[in-house]
Amino acid sequence: MYTPNTPSHNNINLLNFIQERASIGTWEYNPKSSELNWSNQTKKIHEVALDFEPNVEIGLTFYKEGHSLETINELFTNCLEEHKDFDAEVQIVTATGKDKWVRAIGIPIVENNECVFVQGLFQDIDNRTKNAKALALKEEQLRLTFDTALVGMAIIDLEGQWINVNKSLCKTFGYNKEEIKSLSFMDLTHPDDLKKDYKAMLSMMSGNLDYFETEKRYINKKGETIWAQLFISIVRNDNGVPQHFVAQINDHTEIKKSSEKVNQLLRTTEDQNKRLLNFAHIVSHNLRSHYGNLDMLLDIIEMDLPETTDNEIFPLVKQAVSHLGETVANLNEVAAINIQKDLKTEKLNLLKCFNGAFSSISALIIESKTSVSVDIDPDIAIKGVPAYLDSIILNFLTNAIKYKKPQEPAKIEINARVDQDDVILEIRDYGQGIDLKKYGEKLFGMYKTFHKHEDSRGLGLFITKNQIEALGGKIDVKSQVNEGTTFYIYLKKYE
Amino acid sequence: MNKIDVACIIDDDPIFIFGAKRMMELSDFCNSFMVFKNGQEAINNLKPIMNAGQNVPDVILLDINMPIMDGWQFLDEFVKIESHKKMTIYIVSSSIDPVDIKRAERYDNITNYIIKPISLQTLKNILEETL
Repeated sequence: MYTPNTPSHNNINLLNFIQERASIGTWEYNPKSSELNWSNQTKKIHEVALDFEPNVEIGLTFYKEGHSLETINELFTNCLEEHKDFDAEVQIVTATGKDKWVRAIGIPIVENNECVFVQGLFQDIDNRTKNAKALALKEEQLRLTFDTALVGMAIIDLEGQWINVNKSLCKTFGYNKEEIKSLSFMDLTHPDDLKKDYKAMLSMMSGNLDYFETEKRYINKKGETIWAQLFISIVRNDNGVPQHFVAQINDHTEIKKSSEKVNQLLRTTEDQNKRLLNFAHIVSHNLRSHYGNLDMLLDIIEMDLPETTDNEIFPLVKQAVSHLGETVANLNEVAAINIQKDLKTEKLNLLKCFNGAFSSISALIIESKTSVSVDIDPDIAIKGVPAYLDSIILNFLTNAIKYKKPQEPAKIEINARVDQDDVILEIRDYGQGIDLKKYGEKLFGMYKTFHKHEDSRGLGLFITKNQIEALGGKIDVKSQVNEGTTFYIYLKKYE
Repeated sequence: MNKIDVACIIDDDPIFIFGAKRMMELSDFCNSFMVFKNGQEAINNLKPIMNAGQNVPDVILLDINMPIMDGWQFLDEFVKIESHKKMTIYIVSSSIDPVDIKRAERYDNITNYIIKPISLQTLKNILEETL
């Protein structure tokens, strides 16, 4: 029956209340009778039934083997024999097999220098311990991340003083941790970049900015300038009051140096291109004008002083001047292809271009009894420049005729196919062929000839290759001496 | 065949001038010619001639690359002078630069672009076009 005014009853209720709320159980041990008592809460923590009757041996079996069991054994023995209190945090394995952190407290009651009774508390601290341990782990992970990060990291107070920095930052600046902590970020910043930093820090402190990113210069211990990418953010407390800054500083000096090298190279290349352009201009104008004068003067000599031309030398001079003119024209052609920027390409029907080329050399084809078979889909269109495509086609056709086998007429097979973005034009002849092992590398070079032929300028393939490349294409060749040559010309499909 | 009355050569290259004059003589191209070494000299001399309307050249062979005033600058000045007579201007240059050729096309008063060297045939063609 419920009797509210009974003090003992009230005390027990209070005790139970506390035990349950705080997850604290009690236990008592009588060494003489070896009797062990657990309170209900202690039993709950062990996850045993309330009618469970413990003894010391069974009680000890709950402790986790190893550190926990050894600790509690030692403390319990000490408590009985040396009369020492204990208070330990150890792990048990409950009756249902759960690992649990508990706090075990034991206090010996001594009479006549003999332990007559042990009173103790047993507290479930599993959640607390696990949280604390998880937090400690997280903190350790964070600390390791901070310390060993490749990027320089720092915590800076609102005055700009370095509070904590990591190894990478020390390495970047050449100071050790202690040295840096005695300095402020202003001491390490390049004077020319200070203003920008101040402005950003003030904006962050006044709440207008949460973070700031910039490329800036610092000064290291040796007084050298360092280029770095700075990412700095402000940490505010729950009330929005600024606490400190967290900064990441990524040393860019090497990248900066190499990018300067790249820029230097770029400038050199641009200069050289300009010189090349100048050179091309010299070829195009000055050389040509001298050649023009020579040619004109020779004409005048022939008309004005015909008696001076009737010798061995005059025809040779005339020939030399004519060769000079050809060379200048060739150089011009090459220079023109290489200088031309922003080439304006247009849609060109491949078959139509081929037919145009045929008709322009139809006399040559008929005269040389050349047989040509063309298999080009009339729908294929490429991205090209008409003059280039004409020149490319003509060069391959005339080459095939020029370098036919001496005793038989030339035979040329042409086909084209589309492969993704490319149109691959295949031009096959059954002529003399080229020894690619010997000449492969020189085939598309300037002034290289591989056959004895009166018209060989050794420039055709060079120009053709340049033109193909200017159109974004490439060229491949297969050849066998006495069997013929196949050129594969990759051009860009018109979309 | 008829010939041109007055031909004008504007060029800084003495060899070209020598050659062109000789070719003109040999091909019986014109009765007389005048020669200027650059655009400025040509403008200075042509202006009074054209104003007076006496001895005005029928044909001008104009070089592009010249010191002081080049062929383009000459053309820009030349169009400002009032003329009472149709004058045919040929650009005669060593330059085969397409930029120059394109630029010449933009001038209405340029009849043709002739690439040096010139030959008797060149002069014959001019004669045919002009007369």
